[in-house]
Amino acid sequence: MQAPRELHVIKWDFPPKFGNVTVNVVGDAGHNLAPYEFWKDHFPKAGITIKIIEVPFEGVYEKEKTEFVAGSGAFDVVTFYPAYVGDFASNGYLEPLDEYMKKQPDSVWNPRQEDVLPPFRELYNKWAGKTYALTIDGDAHLLIYRKDLFTNAAEKAAFKAKYGKELMPPETWEDWLQIGAFFTRKKGEKLAGQTLERDFYGSAEFAKRGFSFAWFVDRWAASGDLYFDENMKPQINSPAAVKALQNFVDSLKNAPPDVRGYGYDELRDALLKGSVAMVVQWTDVPKKGANPAESQVVGKLDYGRVPGWRIGGKVVHRAMMPVGRVVAVASSSKNKLAAYWVAKHIAYDMSLEDVSTAFTGLDVNRGVHFSHPEAYVDFKSKAEAAAYLDRVKEALGDGYPEIFIPGAAQYEDALDLHVNKALAGQETPKQALDAVAQEWNAITDRLGRQKQIDLWHQALMSYKVAGLIK
Amino acid sequence: METKVGRDVLAPQPARLVARGFRLTPVLMVLPAVVVLLAITVFPLVFTLRLTVMSWELTTGFPPQFVRLQNFARAFFQDPRFWNAMMNTGILAVVGVGLQTLIGMGLALELHQLGRLRTFVLSLLLIPVMIAPVIAGFQFRMIYNDQFGPLNYLLDRFTGGRFHGYAWLADPRVALGAVMFTDVWQWTPFMTLVVLAGLQAIPAELLEAAEVDGATGPQTLRRVMLPLLLPVIVIGVLVRFMDTFKLFDIVYQLTAGGPGNVTETIAYYTYLEGFKFFSLGYTSALAFIQLAVITVVAQVFLRYQKRVRAGMAT
Repeated sequence: MQAPRELHVIKWDFPPKFGNVTVNVVGDAGHNLAPYEFWKDHFPKAGITIKIIEVPFEGVYEKEKTEFVAGSGAFDVVTFYPAYVGDFASNGYLEPLDEYMKKQPDSVWNPRQEDVLPPFRELYNKWAGKTYALTIDGDAHLLIYRKDLFTNAAEKAAFKAKYGKELMPPETWEDWLQIGAFFTRKKGEKLAGQTLERDFYGSAEFAKRGFSFAWFVDRWAASGDLYFDENMKPQINSPAAVKALQNFVDSLKNAPPDVRGYGYDELRDALLKGSVAMVVQWTDVPKKGANPAESQVVGKLDYGRVPGWRIGGKVVHRAMMPVGRVVAVASSSKNKLAAYWVAKHIAYDMSLEDVSTAFTGLDVNRGVHFSHPEAYVDFKSKAEAAAYLDRVKEALGDGYPEIFIPGAAQYEDALDLHVNKALAGQETPKQALDAVAQEWNAITDRLGRQKQIDLWHQALMSYKVAGLIK
Repeated sequence: METKVGRDVLAPQPARLVARGFRLTPVLMVLPAVVVLLAITVFPLVFTLRLTVMSWELTTGFPPQFVRLQNFARAFFQDPRFWNAMMNTGILAVVGVGLQTLIGMGLALELHQLGRLRTFVLSLLLIPVMIAPVIAGFQFRMIYNDQFGPLNYLLDRFTGGRFHGYAWLADPRVALGAVMFTDVWQWTPFMTLVVLAGLQAIPAELLEAAEVDGATGPQTLRRVMLPLLLPVIVIGVLVRFMDTFKLFDIVYQLTAGGPGNVTETIAYYTYLEGFKFFSLGYTSALAFIQLAVITVVAQVFLRYQKRVRAGMAT
């Protein structure tokens, strides 16, 4: 894999040489571990040998938690999804990083956390006021659509004739259904003047078990509800939530027939292979869409805010921030300082190179990533890259967090299961969300209601500091 | 100097030493095996049994708490997901293993007729059994793919485009069937092997006697071969039944239990409780329920097999 060109925008120095220590790095297998390959020459210069342990995407939490519980000391640098920062930090599995970050000289040790966008700094990195992790991937959802179709004169005219309004990227989730239905065509029909050689679909979703709940939350969060009230009473089965899930269910009519098997890869490919008109996806997909090696729609994509709901005369948008990635130092590590430097080197020193290339799935997460559009060389022009970064900034402004407290895996799995049952027609949206509320209560009771309430209050404080709620 | 020869060398030792020698030697010889057994079998079993009456949520950091039989009560009376997983596993065990047995018997009867080619064909047939289930799951995920999978391509070609782009793993009506088909594909050769071994053990004179008595092919099969094959078929079915209770890899690869939870098996659900939610007490209770079910079913099978054998002996 070709390493991106070193940009030297971020100034950094090597630490005093470690005595040839080995640092074990664990993370989800695939393109997000590529930075360790890109910068493999840097580590020996710091007296560090890197050993990578790849884990399947779905197995990161279980693998890391199992090793932590067993106290095996198998990992020095752990890469994980920040929904688990509460679990890992509160159980003492992670090393607090504040003292390491203060070490001198700054050019070696300071990861410039003040430059990290507040939602990522406050939610991804901190627990109980201390910094335990550094962001490497700032995930959020973004609307990605085929601008060639939305600007096509024939399609615009047809849409106006049918619905009596202009064809525009969807502003609301009602628009999403309408535009999705409009663009759904059979093989042999015309699309933008071309006869279709295969079926074409208006939209697609992540409807597979695992993260389908995030595409529900995209639709629900605009209502202003939080997952729980102050006493951990679930708010997930409100009328607004039922309406949101109904919209998700209805959207499958405009999606490929196997959409219930779509995860990240399938959803990305449906767009990049030219099978759908619009998707909501993570912010790394436009970079891949601009890369001719991966995309058949180069130059045909544009981006926007995740659709919202019209509330009180204006449209409120919220974009789920699922997954994301952080790196942290295991408290059981025998080489904590070396492990910290490796984590900081990836999270800060080389981060602009890592987030701007299409060879990783890592996304922008700090100010410096936004101020250098010239680094995003996969885009046709600097202006196109700047436009992409502007849309990402907007999406992050709409950001809505995951649950983040210990037990997140259980709460989110219960939500995902019932959202998925509604998508599969096994339950109505109301039945599904009532079942989620019931299961969430049972989970809270099992984990200890008072402790969960305290943790939830702590999470609410972080949401407030990050500006995600008032 | 006194030299002992012959019987004198084997002269009786003092009684106390003899008694101790007799006690210690066999004990010392068996001890390593006992220690290993205790460490790898008995200790985990007892430890897990103890966990079944504890609440131990590793996400919270709270110490384990004694909760009596609450974990079992939760499984039986409060957890519809448990019953759904048991039902899916039951369908796979009854229908899936039933299909494996029927197809396996058919193939075994055909192979039994083959001459020199039998070993070669049998070797080919056994390839799926040799593949790791996780790989089989991955293969079939490709095969079932709605857009690029060979299954839909062939169906499209053979039906002139009328059967096109079917979502085998995403349609809740057929997803469990797709999982079952993969399992049947992989394990039917095992049943073939078992039945073929049984067929080869049938004394030729019995078949000749049936032929002399004028029995037709189907009559010989029903009245002579099947009764003689029954004990081995019962063992084969029992092994497959126990394996089906552990069906995890294929589900993990193909559907992750979805869409909804229509393909969630009890093994997959137990994995989620144990390694995603880290609810160790509840996971142990689920594991023990499965152990109890398998033990009861195995007893039924083995008693049946004993009865069949006893009937054959008389």
